[in-house]
Amino acid sequence: MIQLNHVSKRYLSGPSDYVALRDVSFTVAKGEMLFVTGHSGAGKSTLLRLLTLIERPTRGQLLVQNKNLERLARWRVPYYRRELGVVFQDNKLLTDRSVFDNVALPLVAGGVSHREIPKRVRAALDLVGLLSKEKLHPIVLSGGEQQRVGIARAVVNRPPLLLADEPTGNLDRQLSGTIFDLFHDFNQHGVTVLIATHDLYQVERLGKRVLTLKAGELVHDTGAVA
Amino acid sequence: MNYLLRHVQVLLATLGQMARAPLATLLTLTVIGITLALPSGLYVMLDNLQRLSAGWDRGAQASLFLKRTVTEAGAHKLAQQIRTLSAVASVDYISREAALSEFKKQSGFGSVLNALDSNPLPAVLVVHLAVENPAAVEPLMATLAGLPGVELAQLDIEWLQRLAALLQLAERVVAILATLLSLAVLLIIGNTIRLAVVNRQTEIEIIQLVGGTPGFVRRPFLYSGLLQGLLGGLLAWLLVEASLLLLSGPTRELAGLYGSNFALIGLGADQGVSLALAGGLLGWIGSRLAVGWQLRQIALH
Repeated sequence: MIQLNHVSKRYLSGPSDYVALRDVSFTVAKGEMLFVTGHSGAGKSTLLRLLTLIERPTRGQLLVQNKNLERLARWRVPYYRRELGVVFQDNKLLTDRSVFDNVALPLVAGGVSHREIPKRVRAALDLVGLLSKEKLHPIVLSGGEQQRVGIARAVVNRPPLLLADEPTGNLDRQLSGTIFDLFHDFNQHGVTVLIATHDLYQVERLGKRVLTLKAGELVHDTGAVA
Repeated sequence: MNYLLRHVQVLLATLGQMARAPLATLLTLTVIGITLALPSGLYVMLDNLQRLSAGWDRGAQASLFLKRTVTEAGAHKLAQQIRTLSAVASVDYISREAALSEFKKQSGFGSVLNALDSNPLPAVLVVHLAVENPAAVEPLMATLAGLPGVELAQLDIEWLQRLAALLQLAERVVAILATLLSLAVLLIIGNTIRLAVVNRQTEIEIIQLVGGTPGFVRRPFLYSGLLQGLLGGLLAWLLVEASLLLLSGPTRELAGLYGSNFALIGLGADQGVSLALAGGLLGWIGSRLAVGWQLRQIALH
């Protein structure tokens, strides 16, 4: 599903370069669930920025679903992103639109037919348990609920790969638990899930594969867990 | 079908957005309207002036003063020859005697002329011109002056040629103004759209992250620019017609004093629609440039 070969990412900032990822290689099988941990600045976010093609690697090869991301033409990027579900720490919801419209956004942007949209939005909201709140605006929801709207938006396209960047960074332990259980649930249904987090309690609780980054280097990989 | 539906939806959403900020929309549209109304109004005035001078043109005439050696029969023959020229409507012959008696009647110098022992006036051929284009007058006059027996060819409407030249100059000025003000409309709309893009930067980033194509991101802004230009153009049309309505009364009065039934003519439906479409096109181009530029500033790969 995901394959990184000697990937490096270097930022040019003034006279001294900043190396965010240094020679990172790993492979993720289809249907796997894994965590990427490490302190802030270890390179977790950079890894996700490369996987979502917000940025391109300085060196190395990145394959996602057998697509070489380096060679992916610029005009193909939107279509590539439609096969990804991405959850952000700050959930990136549009505050001037209802929960329904937020979740519908990937479908509207992807040109899904009109009759299809309500059905799929409600299915996604049902999965995260927010079906009753579709007409509300995100601001009136709690932090945990907002993050669940973000997750509903990420899965509304039924992507085979789900990426999350610190999805529970702003939540307490109990709420974090429900969010992680939700991701686990999607994984049980065959979705490949990669979560960047420093919530070690949840990582241990779920007992999945863990990659540890330190200063841009992959220092530990527990390997695939059955 | 689905594609068309999506466009209609964006169009309606854009209209809704404009309606939700009525003051800002009205201000922008008014600025665009006035900017487009200025060259359009000048164009209409110029058009009316040209129409007015064209009316005079048709009544233009030239006087050919004949040499004293030309006999009456020779003068008639010459008149016949001139009638065959293409830009000539008709030719009248005024004999020396007729000229003298007319002069006596009109000048009031009758008794003085009676004291002369011979008639000092030449015979005259009055040539009524039928030229539509003022530029064609010059070569015709050269031809007439070169005819044997013609002492002097005098155009009675030299000032009209000067007016035509002046109108030509004014036409050029209007064209330059129209170009500059079109550019202004382009920039006004471009800047409005640029600000809209900046305001919706977060939204644009999210749309790009969930797989919206650049075309999808651009679409609402392009419609917004197109609509602003289109409505601004319609407003400009309205302003021009309203101004003409205000001027039509005094114009009729003035024309009446000169014994003319001249009346101002406005843009008309086809030109009005063209004006609105031109506004729309300017809006589209302006927003396309602004969105392209602004999106490059916040480009995600």
